[in-house]
This record gives sequence, structure tokens and C-alpha cells, in this order.
Amino acid sequence: MAEKIFKDSFDALVIGGGIAGGEAALNLANNGFRVILVEKDLSIGGKMIHLSKVFPTLDCSACITTPKVSEISRHPSITILTGSEVKKIVKRGKNDFEAMVIKHPRYVREEDCTGCQLCEQACPVVVNDQYQYDMVGRKAAYIPFSIASPRVAAIDIENCTLCGACEKACPTKCIDFTQEATEYQLSLRSVIIATGFNLFDPLKIERFGYGKMKNVITSMQMERLLAPTRPYNTVLRPGDGKMPCRLAYVLCTGSRDITVGNPICSQICCMYSIKQAQLLMGALPMADVTIYYINIRSFGKGFEEFYDQAKGMGVNFVKGKIGMISEKEDGDLILRYEDINDNVVKEASHDMVILSVGVVSNPDNAAFFDSGQLRLDPFEFVCQTDLLASPARTSIGGVFVAGTASGPMDIPDSILSAGAASSEAMSYIIRK
Amino acid sequence: MNRKLGVYICHCGGNISDYVDVEKVKAAVEHDEGVFLARTTMFACSDATQKEMVEDINANQLDGIVVASCSPKLHLTTFRAVAERAGLNKYNYVHANIREQVSWAHSDNKTGATEKAIHLVKSAIARVRLAESLDPITIPSRKAVAVIGAGISGMRAAIELADMGCPVTLIEREHFVGGRVAQWDLLFTTDQTGKELVTRLYDDIAKRSNIRLLTGAEVIENTGNIGDFTLKVKVTPRYINERCDEGNLQRAIDACPVEVPDDFNFNITTRKAIYHNFPSEYPQYPVIDIKNCTRCGECEKVCGSIDFSQQEKTVEVKAGSVLMATGFDPYNPSEGEFGYLQFDNVVTLPQFKRIIDMCEEKLTFRGKDIHNIAYIYCVGSRQVEAGASSAGGSATDRYEEASRDISGENRYCSRYCCTSVIHSAIETKKRFRAVNNYHFTRGIRTYGKQELLYNESLKMGDIYLQSYENDPPSVIRENGKTTVRINDIMTAGKEISVNADLIVLVTGMVPRSDNRIASLFKLPKGRDNFFNEIHMKLRPVETVIDGVTICGACQGPKNITESVNSSLSAATKSFSYVSKGELELEPIIARVDAALCTWCGKCMEACPFDAVKKVVDGGKEIAAINNSVCKGCGMCLPVCPVNAIDLVAYSDQEMETMINALAEDIK
Ligand SMILES: Cc1cc2nc3c(=O)[nH]c(=O)nc-3n(C[C@H](O)[C@H](O)[C@H](O)COP(=O)(O)OP(=O)(O)OC[C@H]3O[C@@H](n4cnc5c(N)ncnc54)[C@H](O)[C@@H]3O)c2cc1C
Ligand SMILES: Cc1cc2nc3c(=O)[nH]c(=O)nc-3n(C[C@H](O)[C@H](O)[C@H](O)COP(=O)(O)OP(=O)(O)OC[C@H]3O[C@@H](n4cnc5c(N)ncnc54)[C@H](O)[C@@H]3O)c2cc1C
Ligand code: SF4
Ligand code: SF4
Ligand code: SF4
Ligand code: SF4
Repeated sequence: MAEKIFKDSFDALVIGGGIAGGEAALNLANNGFRVILVEKDLSIGGKMIHLSKVFPTLDCSACITTPKVSEISRHPSITILTGSEVKKIVKRGKNDFEAMVIKHPRYVREEDCTGCQLCEQACPVVVNDQYQYDMVGRKAAYIPFSIASPRVAAIDIENCTLCGACEKACPTKCIDFTQEATEYQLSLRSVIIATGFNLFDPLKIERFGYGKMKNVITSMQMERLLAPTRPYNTVLRPGDGKMPCRLAYVLCTGSRDITVGNPICSQICCMYSIKQAQLLMGALPMADVTIYYINIRSFGKGFEEFYDQAKGMGVNFVKGKIGMISEKEDGDLILRYEDINDNVVKEASHDMVILSVGVVSNPDNAAFFDSGQLRLDPFEFVCQTDLLASPARTSIGGVFVAGTASGPMDIPDSILSAGAASSEAMSYIIRK
Repeated sequence: MNRKLGVYICHCGGNISDYVDVEKVKAAVEHDEGVFLARTTMFACSDATQKEMVEDINANQLDGIVVASCSPKLHLTTFRAVAERAGLNKYNYVHANIREQVSWAHSDNKTGATEKAIHLVKSAIARVRLAESLDPITIPSRKAVAVIGAGISGMRAAIELADMGCPVTLIEREHFVGGRVAQWDLLFTTDQTGKELVTRLYDDIAKRSNIRLLTGAEVIENTGNIGDFTLKVKVTPRYINERCDEGNLQRAIDACPVEVPDDFNFNITTRKAIYHNFPSEYPQYPVIDIKNCTRCGECEKVCGSIDFSQQEKTVEVKAGSVLMATGFDPYNPSEGEFGYLQFDNVVTLPQFKRIIDMCEEKLTFRGKDIHNIAYIYCVGSRQVEAGASSAGGSATDRYEEASRDISGENRYCSRYCCTSVIHSAIETKKRFRAVNNYHFTRGIRTYGKQELLYNESLKMGDIYLQSYENDPPSVIRENGKTTVRINDIMTAGKEISVNADLIVLVTGMVPRSDNRIASLFKLPKGRDNFFNEIHMKLRPVETVIDGVTICGACQGPKNITESVNSSLSAATKSFSYVSKGELELEPIIARVDAALCTWCGKCMEACPFDAVKKVVDGGKEIAAINNSVCKGCGMCLPVCPVNAIDLVAYSDQEMETMINALAEDIK
């Protein structure tokens, strides 16, 4: 178990270092409050740091995430624990929370690692790279991704063979296989939950063939194929490396679908699909992109105009529900769908299919507090107990929710919701 | 001065390097005078590169840096902070924009783009050679915020600011608080009522001694700037004494002979010249609408609280920051648009919300029972360019077709209305007997968890039809019957007609028609004509006018939750301008050379911010610049006949060397 125990106190604990948690932490810190930010992953930045460009402005996502991330990571009033988990939070009284946090060993001393990547080169073990959504490999000794923060190596101990090659290669001798978990006992005055969302697992819809048919990928994989730090430096079919020229998007994959237990709409997938379609038209000028949809939900500021722009660029929008996808010998895919305009079942052939997977809740939220204290909604998002007047409020006074931890939303809405959470936390702390 | 300079040229992960040969740029500048090191980088803004820059500056004692990357709008502050962390005065960093101005603008010409980038970087180097170290101007900032508009957004922001310990003046133009929300009865998605919500917030405001609420109040003048705004507010009286007897007041209302359309009910009913919108509305006593009052004196006869001697006042409000929450107007269809004001059973969604609120047991309108309701979606939203839609409309006695023009300026989707109309349709069906709902949609947009309402309405048997783009439904009146006709996508283009007792136009949100406040504050507007933020993701509640934040529906369509999220964000931002009691401002302002100035007054006329004043200096009249007002816009520079004014950090000398560098031939 934990080797060392640290005790400290902060004005606020922010759980989750995505854009929502990061924004909330910055707001608090810039107004003079001390914040501890606990991130489960090896880097802060959440999903946003992995995106290509963002709708509806087509700003490069890395360009707007990295400066935030670096502002957070060097803010004197913010302490960051990456690779860490909140085990239990207990509320003792108003303005008085106790939390236990475990920082898992990284097997690399963060302070000393220079990010030179020599360990990566030395390591003989290759496994799937989770940050490229399994499309390429990485080593067992690895820097999570090029714009990670902190940009230091970690050893994936589950896959490590303990051969010791990295230890020898490391010029600063910062690899340390004896590292153990560290326990932090924190006393806090407020808590912000910003644990984000999970992506719907498309393996649950067998008839779409994900996992079996190589050229069926998820939208998150397509984000990676389009991102500046992309795995192949171009858009290719994972099946055979061919450049795709007839791409199809299947909207509402895992959303608005009671057969998978998720009747709600994910709110972002129409728009990110339209965005990707526009980027694909730029990256693959010869390609046709078809979007199969139930309704196009371009409701936000500048969204309808963005949708019109996609239509103007020649993206093909078909109102239709996909029944099933089958694979031909050459890896092309046949989509059987109900064409709603014509009211008939049709088939279309595409050479790459992107499943616009939806937003589902993060199950971690249930475990932070003793059972039942933190109310969840029917879909296990954190329940907003005063949705209209105080959207950041939860069932526990002094505990607030930011971003997609309370339900699907895009980046602008996540940032505004984080603004609300930090604002409420501030007045909660000041009011005493 | 022999400077030791560092130059960083960014790939922007391909955004720049796909069109600009960044290595070539580096090679072209690395031997320029003073350049000690030049590097290219994948993301200049990344944490790792920032660290590297700090190390470079420290290790090599650099005394100036140039960063060539994206627009300084995005990262000026990022790289200034890098300089500061390295102990370098931040004004010794100069930016070159080689993305928006080069790679994105010239993606069709890589050679030309690279040449232009070289020129821009060279001119930045030329400028940084002359850059001075500057200290920010520190000004006091008054710990007080003026919140304009007491709708849900403004009220919520005021409460939050007060709880952070910041005094607030809440300025509401109407005589009652709550904004639009007070007009809605049941709200999606919680089924609370607007009145409940407004009452709760009003109580919260009344409890807080550091909120001053002004109703019937309108800002008529704005002077000053961030840290020190002075607003002149015209406050119209209620003509009723505060401690009044409610019973008598009701008698006074009954006695008033004047009837005018009631805009609280969107003119479907009338009210008296002395009125309140609904019983126990806040503040809890009525008001005399002096414009329509004939001074007949009937009310005075029955109620002693009426006081026509009350005078209009002008109040001065001082604040360090202004938070704008002036909301929206519902779209007002033009006469004949889908039969509006042409057929007497065509209403807008806001009117419909008032109708269902006012009906008790039976749903009736203008004395007729309502059973079949047709809802026509997206009226005034998602409009298309003129000419793209087909318009109908011939009029005879027996057969009349309304205009179905959907062209207009409002391209955007109003976001709230699909959910609102479906929620209202469900409520109508639950509350009144034998109601059939027919929805004429353009694709349902109940995003997120709001989808559950759509599912519920489908289960209750509501009928959904969808029109083709550019082929909107038509409203026809024949033999006294009103029919809505559509070519329906959901049934493969079948023409479907519905006989409707009431037609509800699902109208969107538009900016407030009375927008004098925007010109008072010089607030910028977006393509959609709503107030515009600086950057949707990086600075979502700030405006280009320093110290003025925006939130709620004045910024674009939003539901209540979204309005409040932005309002609390704006409260935090406004608080951060005033919480410390002082503010640091950019020292990039105009500077007068006292020896040269002959006081002709031309600069004072040219300055849009009134920053120039005449002073006497050593017996000589000269121009003086007010440091906290000057924005460094440079308007005064070209008008000075003796060239006595320079802009700090943009001096003539700096501009000239930059021009020379731009004109230089490159190999
Ligand atoms: C394919 C795709 C494309 C998209 N494109 C766009 C776009 O173009 N524009 C746009 O506006 N939006 C886009 N989005 C939506 C955007 O990703 C989200 O709005 C945004 O990431 C939400 O931020 P968040 O901080 O709430 O959650 P997340 O990004 O999920 O961050 C949550 C963070 O919390 C951490 N965490 C989780 N559990 C724990 C725990 N138990 N303890 C500690 N830490 C934990 C996670 O590791 C993560 O870092 C896209 C989404 C997808 C899937
Ligand atoms: C028909 C309809 C039904 C709706 N139903 C719902 C619902 O059920 N649930 C939901 O979440 N949302 C609903 N909405 C959306 C909701 O009305 C808005 O989100 C909300 O009103 C926005 O609040 P606001 O404070 O930003 O603006 P507003 O409500 O417009 O308030 C602005 C305030 O500012 C004042 N003001 C304006 N100009 C000035 C000035 N120059 N000086 C001083 N004061 C000024 C106004 O008088 C007003 O009091 C509905 C909208 C409509 C049109
Ligand atoms: S010790 Fe483990 S991480 Fe290091 S090189 Fe060997 S396998 Fe890779
Ligand atoms: S662990 Fe050592 S070898 Fe690996 S990146 Fe860090 S410093 Fe380099
Ligand atoms: S946002 Fe679009 S794709 Fe996503 S669930 Fe909603 S309707 Fe479907
Ligand atoms: S929310 Fe619905 S009704 Fe309103 S403009 Fe958008 S699509 Fe039309």
C-alpha cells in the first residue's frame, strides 16, 4: 500500500483535469484560492487536447488547449496530481471536507525526467497506444503524447517485462522501479467534480461491425487521423492503408437508442461529424463524404451557419437510419439504411465508415462519497439539483459539478458550466 | 544598442508548416543583426516549448524575443508571460502572425507565403531591436459592479457577486424584475414555474444589503473606463407610495378607465394605465404607466397611496465593471407571415405560453374552444437568403393563403424553441381535454437530455411532420376553417393537411429591438446581431470593451440553465476586475512631446475616448493624455501638424524600421 502519506489543505479540490476542470481551477486560482487538481490520466487536458480542430470556429484544438494547460500547470496556486485517484471524500461540516487521494507510481521521477524519449527508444515492448485510440503502437516506457502535460515518461508496468533497458538508457537516472503509491490526506473547503464523459462503446452494437471490420472506426479515431499530431500523417483506411474516397458517418451511434439503454441525445456528435466532414473535404479533395442522420442538431451560436457551410462544400446529408453494415472482400462496406426522404430501404457502398459515438456517463462519480450522498440522474450523470437557478449545484452542499460530468455538452458550454461551478465554489467558500 | 535576440518560428502542427517552409524562414533570419538563436517548434504555445524559451532566455541572457506563430489575439498574453517568467520585460517580445496573415491566407501559394513570412519575421526583428522595457500602468479599481438587466441572468449574477463580497447595483428598465422568465408559467425541464423562480431570486436579492436594485431605470450616459465607470441612470417613478394598501390599489386598478394592450401578455389582452403584471409580482406594488395615463384622477379617488408629485430622478452609479444582461426579444412575425395578424387564430409561441397560463379548465382563445393545435417551427429562425424560398399568397374571400416566406437575416437556430414548444404541447395535453397536437417541424432539435421530452410527446400521440428545406408549410383559410398544409418528409413527400383551431408560430429569439445600450457602451455585435464575446472558448464572457462582460440571451439564444451558466461566469470575470482594488493596464498609449506641442487642439478632436486635455506646463499650453483612458488607438498621431505625438511601442522609428525590413529584397 501507500509508502508515504502527505497531508495538506486547500480551498478546493477539482476532480478531473479536462477543459472543464482546468477552467474551474484557473478561475479559482486567479481569484486567490488554493486548488488541488486531481487527474486520473497521465496528462491533464481531457478529451479536448486530443481533438483536431473544433467546431464551429475551426480553431486548432491543440492551439487553444495547450496554453490553458500550461497556464494551469505553472500556476502558483494550483497543485496538480496526475495519475491519481480520489478514493473517498467525507463531508464533516460546512466548509470542511476530508479527502483521500492515491497517486499511483509512474516509475519515473517526474522532477528529473527531461522528456528526452531515450527510454522509449530503448524499450523493446510494443503495445497499443491508447492516446491514438489503438491505431498505432507505443512502448511500455513512453511519453503519453507529444503535447502531454507534464511531458514526462511513464512506465506501463502491466506490459513491462522488467528488462531494464530503459533504466540503462535514461541519462538522468530518473526511472525508479521501486516507486510506490503515495497517499494524500486533504482537508478542503469545497469540491468540484469535473470527471467528464466516456465514449459509447460501439462493440455494443454488433450489426455495425466495429471491431470486426477494420474500416469501421469511431469518430474519436477520426479526430486522431485529422489532428496535427496524427498517427499516419494523413487520413488512411486502417484496414489496408488505402486513401478513402467514399466516407460515411453514422450519426446517433449509441444515442437516442433505447435498445442500448441510452435514449438521450449526445448533443455534440452532429456538430463534430459536420466538422470532420469539412476537414476531410480539405484533406482528401477527391473524397465524397455522406452523413446519415436522424435530425441534424446544429443549435448553438454559429452552428446552423456551419451546417450550411458543409452543405455548400458538398457534404452529402442523407436522412436515414442505418440498419446494418457488412463488409466486402476488398474491405469496402455496404450500408443498409432506411431512406426517410424516399421511404424505402436502400444500400450504399462506402470505403470507410465513421461511427459518431455518443456521450455516456463516467461511472467513477458514484464512488467518491458514501453511497447515495451524491445524487446521480437516471443516466448516472451527476444530478444538477437546482438545474435552472444554480446549475452547478449537486445534492451535497459545497460540492459542485462542471462540464460533461453532468451530461453531454460541447466545449463552449463546458467552459461556461465550469465558470458557474467555480463561481459558486468561490461564494460558498467566502460566505463560510 | 546591441541586442541579443531569440526567434521562434512555429509549425502550428502543420497549420503553418503545411504552407510555409518554416525551416527556410529560420535560415533566412538566423543571421540577421542581433539574432543570437533561431528555432522552429511544433507548437510554440505548448508547455514544453514555453519552458525551452525560458531556459534559452536565461541561459543566453537574451534581451528580446520574436515569436512567429498564430494571431496575437490568441497568444499575446501566453508569450508575454513566458518573457516575464524568464525575467525579461514583456514588451521586449514582439509577435509576428504567420498563420492568419500568411499560411491560412495564402494556402494556394507556398513560395509566396514563405517569402511573406520571412518579411514579417524580419520586420518583427527590426522592431524588437528598438523595443523599450515598459511598466504597466496601475489604476485603482472600484470594488463595485453595475449589472444591467434584472432577468434571470442579471439577478443570478447580482446574487453571486454580492456573495463574493462585491457591492452591486442592479439596473432594470422595466418596473418589475424577472425578465422573460416571469412571463412563462411551467418551465422545461423541471416543471417549476417562472413566477416561483423569479420570486425566489427576488427574495435572495432583497436579503442582501449590498445589492441596490433600481427598477424603471435606464442608463442614459456612460463615462469612464474599466476600474472606474460612471453611469447616469434615469429612474422613472411608480407614482405610488411604497407602503401602500393592496386592497385599495386593486380598487384603483379597477377604477382606471384607460385600457392599453398588455405587452406582458404579448398584446393578446389589455391592461389599465395603473397595473401590475400578475399579483405579487416584484417589486410587489403596481406602477402607473405615465405615457398612457390621462391624469383623470379616478385612481386617486379610491386610493391614498397614489402620488403624482413623484419626479423622475437621475442617479449616478459608479462601478469598476459593468455586466450586461439585457436579454432578447421574441421574433415578431410580419403581418401575413404564416397568417399572423391575418387570421385571428394564429399566435406566436410566447402568446401561446400566456394563453395556456390564463386558461383554467378549458382551452379557449377569442371565445372559441381549442382542440386541434398546429405548431409551425423555426419561424424567424434558420431563415434562408431571399429568393431561395418559395412564397405563396393569393387572396380571395373564400380561399386565402398566407405568405410562407422563410427568407430573412436570421440564419441561426434559436435553440430553445423545439424543447419549449414540445414541453408546452405536453402540458396542454395533460391539462386540457381532447387536445391534438400537430408539429410542423424542420427536424427536431431537443438536444441532450431534452430528448426525453420529445420521447414523452411521441408516446402521448403527438403527430410530427417535417417540411422540406425551402418548402415550408402553408396556412390556408377556406370557408372559415384554417388548414395547415405540408409536403411531409416523414411520409416521403405526401401532402398532408391539418384542420387547426389554433396555429402556434414557434418564434425564435432576436436581439432586443431597443439597443441604445449597445451604442452607449460601443458593444460589438456578431453576425447574428447579438452581442459578441472576444473568443467563444478562450474568453467567452468578455467583450473588446475592457471591463464590460456579457451573459445570458443578449449574447445569443440560450435556455435558462445556459443563461445562468454564462451569467455566473461573467460574475466571476467582473469580480476579478474589481476584487483587488487595482488593475494593471497596457502602457501602450500616446505620448506627447511637450517641447514640440503647440496646442492646436486637433488631437483632442480626433480622440474617440476623450483622453486628451489641454494643460498648462511651464507657462505653455500643451496637450496631455489621460493614461487610464487612452486606449492607444493612435487616432491622434496623424492629425498632429508638428508630429509631437508618438505611440509607445509603436513609435515612428519602430514603424519605419519595420517598413524598411518589409521592403528589403530577400534572396
Ligand atoms: C470525437 C469528438 C469530437 C469533438 N469535437 C468537438 C468540437 O469540435 N468542438 C466542441 O466544442 N466540442 C467537441 N467535442 C466535445 C468535447 O470533447 C467535450 O465538450 C469536452 O471534452 C468536455 O470536457 P470535460 O472537461 O467536461 O470532460 P473530459 O474532456 O472528458 O475531461 C474529463 C477529465 O477528467 C478525468 N477523469 C475522469 N475520471 C476521473 C477520476 N475518477 N479522477 C480524476 N480524474 C478523472 C479524465 O481523465 C479527463 O482528463 C468532441 C467530442 C468528441 C468525442
Ligand atoms: C416562449 C419562450 C419560452 C421559454 N421557456 C423556457 C423554459 O421553459 N425553460 C428554459 O430554460 N428557458 C425558456 N426560455 C428561455 C428563457 O426565456 C431565456 O433563457 C431567459 O429569459 C434569458 O434570460 P436573460 O436574463 O438573459 O434575458 P431576459 O429574460 O430577456 O431579461 C433581460 C432583462 O433585461 C432588461 N433590460 C433589457 N434592456 C435593458 C436596458 N437597456 N436597461 C436595463 N434593463 C434592460 C429587460 O427588461 C429584462 O428584465 C423560453 C423562451 C421563450 C421565448
Ligand atoms: S523495463 Fe519495461 S519499460 Fe523499461 S525498457 Fe524494459 S520493458 Fe520497457
Ligand atoms: S525517463 Fe529518462 S530517458 Fe525517459 S524521457 Fe525521461 S529523462 Fe529521458
Ligand atoms: S447530436 Fe446528433 S448525432 Fe448526436 S445523438 Fe444528437 S442527434 Fe444524434
Ligand atoms: S430550436 Fe427548433 S424550432 Fe427553434 S429554431 Fe432551432 S430547429 Fe427551429
